[in-house]
Amino acid sequence: MIKSGLILLFLITTFLSFGQLPYREFSFNSPGNPCYFMYVNHAPNGNLATTKRPFIFILGERGKSAKEMYEKDPLRKVPDFYSYEFVYLPNNDKHATEILYCLVSLTDLITSDYACGRTNVFLSIYDTTVTENVLTDLGLYQSFHSIRLLKPEQNTALAAAELTTDFKEDVAAYTPVYEDDEFGTYYEEDADDQEESEVFIQAKKTYFGDPSAFDFTLTGVVRDKYSGESLPFSSVKLKGSNRGATANVDGLFTLLKIPTDTSVLVVSYSGYNTQEVYLTPQMNKHNLIIELTPVVQLVNAVKVVADRQDVVLSKKEDVGVIKMTPKIIERLPNIGEKDIMRSFQLMPGVSGSQESSSGMYVRGGTPDQNLVLYDGFTVYHVDHLYGFFSAFNANTVKEVQLYKGGYESRFGGRLSSVTEITGKEGNQKKFNLGGDLSLLSINAFTEIPIGEKFTSIIAFRRSFKSPIYKKLFKKLSSSGTSDDEEEDDSSNPGGGPGGPGGRSNNSTQVTSFFYDLNGKFTYKPSTKDILSLSIFISKDKVDNSFDFDRPSFGSGTSNFTNTNTDLTTYGNIGSSLRWGRKWNDKIYGNTILSFSNFYSKRDQSNERSGEDENGDEFTSYTGILEDNNLIDYSFKSDYTWDVFKNSQLQFGVFATYYDIDYQYVQNDTATILNKSNKTSLSGGFIQNKFKFFNGKLVIVPGIRSSYYQTTRKFYNEPRASFVLKMTKNISLKGATGKYYQYVNRVTREDIMSGSKEFWLLSDGESVPVSSSVHYMGGISFETNQFLFSTEAYYKNIYNITEYSLRFNPSPMSSDYEENFFSGNGDARGVEFLVQRKTGKLNGWMSYTLGEARSRFDVYSDTYFYANQDVTHEFKSVLMYEYKRWNFSATWIFATGRPYTAPSGAYTITLLDGTTQDFFTVTDKNGLRLPNYHRADISVHYKLLAGIKGERRRKEIGSIGFSIFNLYNRKNVWYKIYTIEDGSILETDVNYTGFTPNLTLSLKIR
Amino acid sequence: MKSIYLFILLLLLLISCHKETSADFTDSPIIEGYLTPGDPFSIHIYRQTPFSSDVEYSSDDINNLNVVVSCDGTDYPLTPTGDGYYTSSVVSIEEGKTYSLSFSFNTKTVSAYTYIPTKPESFTQSATEIEIERMDSTSGPPSSSQPDPIELYWDNPDNSYYLVVVENIEPILDPIRDFGDEDPPENIFRKNPTQTTAEELRPMEFQYYGMHRIILYHVLPDYASLYDEGTVSSQNITNPSTSIVNAYGIFTGLNTDTVFVKVKEP
Repeated sequence: MIKSGLILLFLITTFLSFGQLPYREFSFNSPGNPCYFMYVNHAPNGNLATTKRPFIFILGERGKSAKEMYEKDPLRKVPDFYSYEFVYLPNNDKHATEILYCLVSLTDLITSDYACGRTNVFLSIYDTTVTENVLTDLGLYQSFHSIRLLKPEQNTALAAAELTTDFKEDVAAYTPVYEDDEFGTYYEEDADDQEESEVFIQAKKTYFGDPSAFDFTLTGVVRDKYSGESLPFSSVKLKGSNRGATANVDGLFTLLKIPTDTSVLVVSYSGYNTQEVYLTPQMNKHNLIIELTPVVQLVNAVKVVADRQDVVLSKKEDVGVIKMTPKIIERLPNIGEKDIMRSFQLMPGVSGSQESSSGMYVRGGTPDQNLVLYDGFTVYHVDHLYGFFSAFNANTVKEVQLYKGGYESRFGGRLSSVTEITGKEGNQKKFNLGGDLSLLSINAFTEIPIGEKFTSIIAFRRSFKSPIYKKLFKKLSSSGTSDDEEEDDSSNPGGGPGGPGGRSNNSTQVTSFFYDLNGKFTYKPSTKDILSLSIFISKDKVDNSFDFDRPSFGSGTSNFTNTNTDLTTYGNIGSSLRWGRKWNDKIYGNTILSFSNFYSKRDQSNERSGEDENGDEFTSYTGILEDNNLIDYSFKSDYTWDVFKNSQLQFGVFATYYDIDYQYVQNDTATILNKSNKTSLSGGFIQNKFKFFNGKLVIVPGIRSSYYQTTRKFYNEPRASFVLKMTKNISLKGATGKYYQYVNRVTREDIMSGSKEFWLLSDGESVPVSSSVHYMGGISFETNQFLFSTEAYYKNIYNITEYSLRFNPSPMSSDYEENFFSGNGDARGVEFLVQRKTGKLNGWMSYTLGEARSRFDVYSDTYFYANQDVTHEFKSVLMYEYKRWNFSATWIFATGRPYTAPSGAYTITLLDGTTQDFFTVTDKNGLRLPNYHRADISVHYKLLAGIKGERRRKEIGSIGFSIFNLYNRKNVWYKIYTIEDGSILETDVNYTGFTPNLTLSLKIR
Repeated sequence: MKSIYLFILLLLLLISCHKETSADFTDSPIIEGYLTPGDPFSIHIYRQTPFSSDVEYSSDDINNLNVVVSCDGTDYPLTPTGDGYYTSSVVSIEEGKTYSLSFSFNTKTVSAYTYIPTKPESFTQSATEIEIERMDSTSGPPSSSQPDPIELYWDNPDNSYYLVVVENIEPILDPIRDFGDEDPPENIFRKNPTQTTAEELRPMEFQYYGMHRIILYHVLPDYASLYDEGTVSSQNITNPSTSIVNAYGIFTGLNTDTVFVKVKEP
């Protein structure tokens, strides 16, 4: 109590002298204060800044001022104390007891609230009048590790020799010793006694003196307190102003021109408690470590921290950016796996009715127009199991940011949006092991730190045959192989099976699976460098093949073998090696070498071999073979240079080598398409973030320029965005930009069984380089509880390509290589979002009104709705917490997507007099599927270690139960058509119905 | 808070706008036109059969359209002869020439074009006669070995498409096999269009005794694609690719050569 009373009385400490000598004289408080005096700081090694060191406080002889004692004292010249810091206290104009009375506060201040413990804080008293009783009364033995009292008979010289042992530095004391239990997430029981205790560890103000530095540059890193995991793109702000910085991917930040070293920083990151950091002159200005604690699921947390950020849907500082962390995703309903990409589908502007694609349809764009970067390498296919699950394992993902449009110059090569995924580095402090078991897959991860500089994380996930897997799989395979079955039936006109291996007995034994493996290895040789290797391998195999032998119809003697193959394999192999370096306080560089490969093979064929009636061996082969292989080698080097307080320059170079093959073969011999292209794309970008009016207006103009080898042309993409903070709560945003795309996923139109896509490089002719121009603007209104946001967008899209065999560009040739058709399009829309950010019951509602149109001369001379067009889309997400329970519910409504269907038939008489039926189709995308809606719910119960009744228990996992499609709505995925007796049969292929799922997650910490 | 009301107002305004729905059936005409040198110019234009009963037809009279053919820069109107047939006695069909067709239907201009390919060259056959044993239910399978197939050859330097059609031209059909209760087969059969230079007619392909006409059609790729559509399983419900704009069907040039073969009992 005395101490806190004194702190209130402390006024200011005045910086007095700063001479050549390695000491500084300070005043503690100001005249009139009972604790006003002058003291001297001295560091024999000349470095007064470091707080992590032994401290010796010295109360001089009676009658000596601090400076006089400093000049006289032999201790500071003892070589053992070379790296110590000495604090000389005056003992002239006050009684020694009064000085000692103030000493605790001063010690507290100088050692930054005992940031490194009290072990290496010592006190030497030369005043022989001070007795041990006084020291005990003042409680000094609690603040100092050892106190040396000079006895009246001793002389100072002798004392110095003895003190080297008494004041010996204990190096081990600096390594913070965490209790084993300190690591991990904790659950604290809701206090029934209504005791409003502050649970969060908040940085407390410890320094009440004057600042010692002005307009200085501060750099540091933001980390998770328990795992040491850096927190990318966290926000570091100067309290009381609009100024601030966003950390980079490694959690490193630079703040220029901080007014004083006693300013306050507000550091925030979604899913973590916002922390206020009170700067003091003693703090490290070049590598300040700020550690945030994850949000504890504590119900009365609202009272504690007003700015708690559980779910932040849109970032105030950026235009059209939303971010997600696994901590948020865990609480949303899922269909079998925590799914990052799926979670984005609950956000405004991202289509939520595309159950069959984990890829994102952002603002009228298609998934291939969304650049997906995983630790710097491009991922070309983000789906497992035909899109029901995303290829990214949530256990290895630290954060995902989605740039919905108008994105910055540092990204390129896509028309619509950017998804930037940052993988976890792994726990820096402790070994960790965990996993999830669901009705679909098993997922295990381990985090192994080696020493202080090396961290690693490895995760593996594999599906297994479970009811839910079979259910999903059945749906997928049945839709995919209906053609096959038809062909089979027609090839067996004899009807019933002729032998033990007949068709009807031969139910397909599906041997299908997916797996993925993630690994990341990070080495930090110094505080300036970071090296990391990230590896990602995923594979899907879907096999519906079967074969059988049977006697041939007719002769009854010869046999044939029928091998029916339906095998699809696809996957990704990606890797990146990244070197991040902080060249100095203002320049940060990031260099990435990466490799990415996507492959997809489909062999849907029927091979019959045997003997014909003449005894000749024959082999006949029908079916399709599709093979797409994409290889991408990239190099990127980006730099951020904080040139001035209000100007941050970003620039970089990049180069990519592509090798993309696509083959489409029908009936063994007829190669419809065979494209093999190799090319390179290289260039650079430069952009600058200008801040005006004290950070109220941020403008980021930039340009990206690329040279595409195939077309031998330069492509320039000017872009710009702004954010204007009109008031504390209201921000106005806008962005525009030009975007080019060189690698396209071309749609192969297939009316009958759904269109398919394949990756292809632009060749500048039949597949031109596509481009887009974005315009977007928005306004957001944010309070501590609510966020209201609206954004509008308009995009022009040029030269998108489709492949269709429906039209022959020239009836005089049959070259299918020419069946590429390009067209233009546009997309526009308005998004609205209301979010309640805090409280027991939180969540959001969003509504999007959108339109996406295309115009292909070959289909029609007017615009038609693009495949992904959705007019109205409403989504709501509700989350409720009750003690250890977590409930969530989502509901999605979306206008049905457009489709094309057969509309009529006609008959043509051929030259041999026979007739053939043909079918006409409706206007391209002239029809709409029924509206899509679906509700999902989930409940999670936390599993805790420790004994029941303990207030603070470690969270070691959870049990989750979720229901996908609660009211079993039959949403139409697509329609398939079959012809029977000249008439057409329409079948709806529906999306997944009512599907419950159970997940058990466990982890050590 | 004002901004929220503004949002809601804006939202309501936007929702209240509704989109026009596209028609799900377009009354596009079907054209069937084969242009063979020497034959009179004649095409057939007719309507497709919609799957839905509730469709809107164009008010245009499909049997009385203003169809124009142009060739060598001159336009020739075609004369409707009823039932959707349109002919011209003025236009002569000649090898190498390009013919364009156009008319207006359902507010759209329908157009198509084609040219007449060259006459097949060096069309030869390995035999002019083939002997096939008569088979009936009592005789069982033939005892002796099958006769050699008839080989057909022609030149094809430019890799274009050829179609072989074989037709029995006897006035009374004399079957080789006993068809029992089944319907007797047609007196005509064909091979699939090919880009090769040869085709073979196997004995079992013939159903009747007597004189057969073998027509070798030199066809254009759009005609060949009519046969493709049947095998390209996932595409077979769509219309074939042709030069026709705003309509469906076939409008293609042909050229032929003919040889004969006689099928007789040994």
